[in-house]
Amino acid sequence: MLNSLHVEGRTWLHRLPAAPKLFLLAAVSLVLFFVQSPVVLALVLLLAGGVYTSLGLPAREALKRIRPVLITILLFALINLVLVSPQEALTTTLRLLSVLLLAASVTATTTIAAFMDVLAKLFLPLERLGLLKAADISLAVGLVLRFVPEIAARYEGLKEAHRARGLPLRIHRVLGPLIISTLKDADTIAEAIDARGIRGQ
Amino acid sequence: MTTRDLVLAALFTAIIIVLGLIPPVTLGFIPVPITAQSMGVMLAGTIIGARRGALAYGLLVLLVAIGLPVLSGGRGGLGILMGPTAGYIAGWIIGAFVVGMIAERFVREGQSTVRQMAGFFIASVIGGIVVVYAIGMPVVSLIAGTPFSKVIMGSLAFLPGDLLKAAIATLAARAVMVGYPLLPQKA
Repeated sequence: MLNSLHVEGRTWLHRLPAAPKLFLLAAVSLVLFFVQSPVVLALVLLLAGGVYTSLGLPAREALKRIRPVLITILLFALINLVLVSPQEALTTTLRLLSVLLLAASVTATTTIAAFMDVLAKLFLPLERLGLLKAADISLAVGLVLRFVPEIAARYEGLKEAHRARGLPLRIHRVLGPLIISTLKDADTIAEAIDARGIRGQ
Repeated sequence: MTTRDLVLAALFTAIIIVLGLIPPVTLGFIPVPITAQSMGVMLAGTIIGARRGALAYGLLVLLVAIGLPVLSGGRGGLGILMGPTAGYIAGWIIGAFVVGMIAERFVREGQSTVRQMAGFFIASVIGGIVVVYAIGMPVVSLIAGTPFSKVIMGSLAFLPGDLLKAAIATLAARAVMVGYPLLPQKA
């Protein structure tokens, strides 16, 4: 139901460990923010495009992944063309497109497990301060992934029930029952987690 | 944070994801289809309260970051978090917290229906609209380079739809308050 946006592969970007990859992405995005020259930004975009295409995704799939943000960026490009100078509109658009392609490349080449390892390390200082437990984060992520299909099935059930009674499906009628029936399970799930000592208290 | 609070937050994250999977629905009385997911901030705050609501949204953003297509229309991945609309996504977490804070303060069991609904509606408008836009709009201006005053003007177009979402969230929050109250026992 929820397929990760990671794609299997053996490119150099796949082999690069997640932590330096994410650090590099953050650093490059930050530096690009201060670059004003359209020539330099165009070169960076060319490079970012090279990185993204080097992943070998089929053209349709490659476009589909970046389409939502691409549309937003192009929309702002059009608006900016009217509101600010053409050069400014060009530099922001080139910059945003570069960041988008680089970010999409990192997402496509990093597994969920690798991301979670980096997150656990990032949360370690907070854990030392006693603010949260890194293990809780992965437990919560696991719970979400486990229950999405179940809640979706519950929604389908509510839809069927409406149809059986000849009622048109309206979101304000479905939300209440969907949320109540889902959250009612919380106690049982919490008891099951504590009974197994998963959070180790 | 008890295990139950953690589970409630995670279940709510899952609900928000499912609301993004269902196709946009029309409401009958207005012709424009709306995505149910966009009501999530208001629902999270009014139904599970400030801390759990913010946690539910923190989890959602985390799932986006690790590359799961959990946002409506199958959106996800780092590109979303680094694009012009990144501020709104950060605003969701704080917005859910503020919705919850206001709802926890003003809505109690045993109040009249009208008072409860008024409390939920005000909480949804302040936390779910004012706070989210207050964080989202400057970031749009900063990242996309569009003048701030124009961003405000453009955002006004979304206001009627957002008020309608606040009204629907209010109905849902009241239904849950009657059927299975969670807000009073805050985390």
